[in-house]
Amino acid sequence: MGRDTRRSRLVIIALVIAAFALITLDYKTGRSASGARGVVHSALGGVEDGVSAVTRPIGRTVSSLAHPNRYHDRADRLAQDNTGLRRQLADNAEIGRMSKQLGDLRLLADKGQYSVVPAKVIAVGDATGTDWTVTINAGRDDGVDIDKTVLNADGLVGTVSSATAHTAVVRLACDPNSRVGARLERTQLLGAVAGGQGPSTLTFTLYDASFRVQKGDRLVTFGSMDYVAGVPIGVITKVTDVGGLSRTAEVKPYVSVGTLDLVGVVVGRPATDPGDRLLAPQPVPTQPVPAQPVPTSPAAQTPVPGTGTSPGPARPGQGGTG
Amino acid sequence: MWDIADSSDTVRVRTFVVAIALLAVALIGQVSIVARLGLPGGRLDLVLVLLATISLIEGPLVGAVSGFAVGVLADLASSHVLGQSALVMCLVGYAVGLVMDAADRSVVVPLAAIGGASVAGTLGYAATTSIFGAAALTGGEAVVRALVAGVYAVLLTPFVFPLLTAGSRRLSGRPRQSSGRLRRGAR
Repeated sequence: MGRDTRRSRLVIIALVIAAFALITLDYKTGRSASGARGVVHSALGGVEDGVSAVTRPIGRTVSSLAHPNRYHDRADRLAQDNTGLRRQLADNAEIGRMSKQLGDLRLLADKGQYSVVPAKVIAVGDATGTDWTVTINAGRDDGVDIDKTVLNADGLVGTVSSATAHTAVVRLACDPNSRVGARLERTQLLGAVAGGQGPSTLTFTLYDASFRVQKGDRLVTFGSMDYVAGVPIGVITKVTDVGGLSRTAEVKPYVSVGTLDLVGVVVGRPATDPGDRLLAPQPVPTQPVPAQPVPTSPAAQTPVPGTGTSPGPARPGQGGTG
Repeated sequence: MWDIADSSDTVRVRTFVVAIALLAVALIGQVSIVARLGLPGGRLDLVLVLLATISLIEGPLVGAVSGFAVGVLADLASSHVLGQSALVMCLVGYAVGLVMDAADRSVVVPLAAIGGASVAGTLGYAATTSIFGAAALTGGEAVVRALVAGVYAVLLTPFVFPLLTAGSRRLSGRPRQSSGRLRRGAR
């Protein structure tokens, strides 16, 4: 054992030095190993796609077999029929669920006039569990490219952070390194949504301190060169900072990270900004709008951002979200 | 002396290859299967459990080298800084390998070593991530996750440890590996 310990001590010292060298190199140069990463991503992505394709039906079969039939002596044929039917039912449920997700995604994409490539999540995170990323089974060959917006039927999921021929890695909006331009519903005020607070909370910073952010306000993406506008992000749950030069608030995202399955990558942006029409129509009048006799109604129609008034009663003409 | 070292080295090479291949499979299983299960409370870290088991059976050298190799692979497959999980995994493999001789004595030793390795490894991931990148978790969350990972590891150990011990004996071609190891150690 003595020989082993001395040699292994040397080896562990060498390995720790090598690890630190790797960390230093990668940390300083940023993308020093993008070639190697690409190779590993595409190799592992192919395997992961296969594993997902295999394990899904197995999981369904196991769940359909999980109800034991205690009267084995009765009729094996009936039991077999039963199992087959159960499996078919499970399959049907799965197909129905999938088609509903696909339909919802299609609906959202049509509302925004986005061109969407649908894809399935084939891996969640990485081995250490510290990355907020998912791997999807669509890649460059399908038109997916770095920085494209990823959404599902509920809203914004994240952006593509790297892509190989047949897979792509999506950085979720709740990743600490993620930062998304956002605007409040019905305004054009620019802010940013950042992650880092865990999977179910985002942080919204509004750069205009004169506007009063309220609980219940909804956020959509602002849109830029590679980022489509109008994708729903979430709803404000708590305003945390009301002083200083900017406003910050906590946002509950519409997309739940734990149940991501079918997503769409926006590969073609609409010609015009879709505005707020992707948000679900709100249950309108919280306060009954009895004060109809306002004589200057057409003049008050233009929405003036940043006036600081509460949006409800000030604009009687804007009942729905349009 | 030398021919014994040589013959044990050929066994070693095969052990390294098998260990690294096993851990690479676990890596894919972790992200494609285990991460999708949605286990209550946190996550099971399949890679750390297998790495700790292999280190406990084969010793610190195999543990450290295979941990490093698979760590680099995991880093390449992720989006964080290259080398950070390689650092954690090779240290975990080495540390667990040090208690290799005590593993035969009691059932508690493998349970404690593998559970502890999961806790320490998960904490190590959280620590290195917060040092080299943006912190993905707060301290409290990291501790809870580490403890949950430890519990899952302890639950999995009674299945994994005997299986890999049997596999290791078959691989080395010796029916009783421990006596062989003792004889070599006595020289």
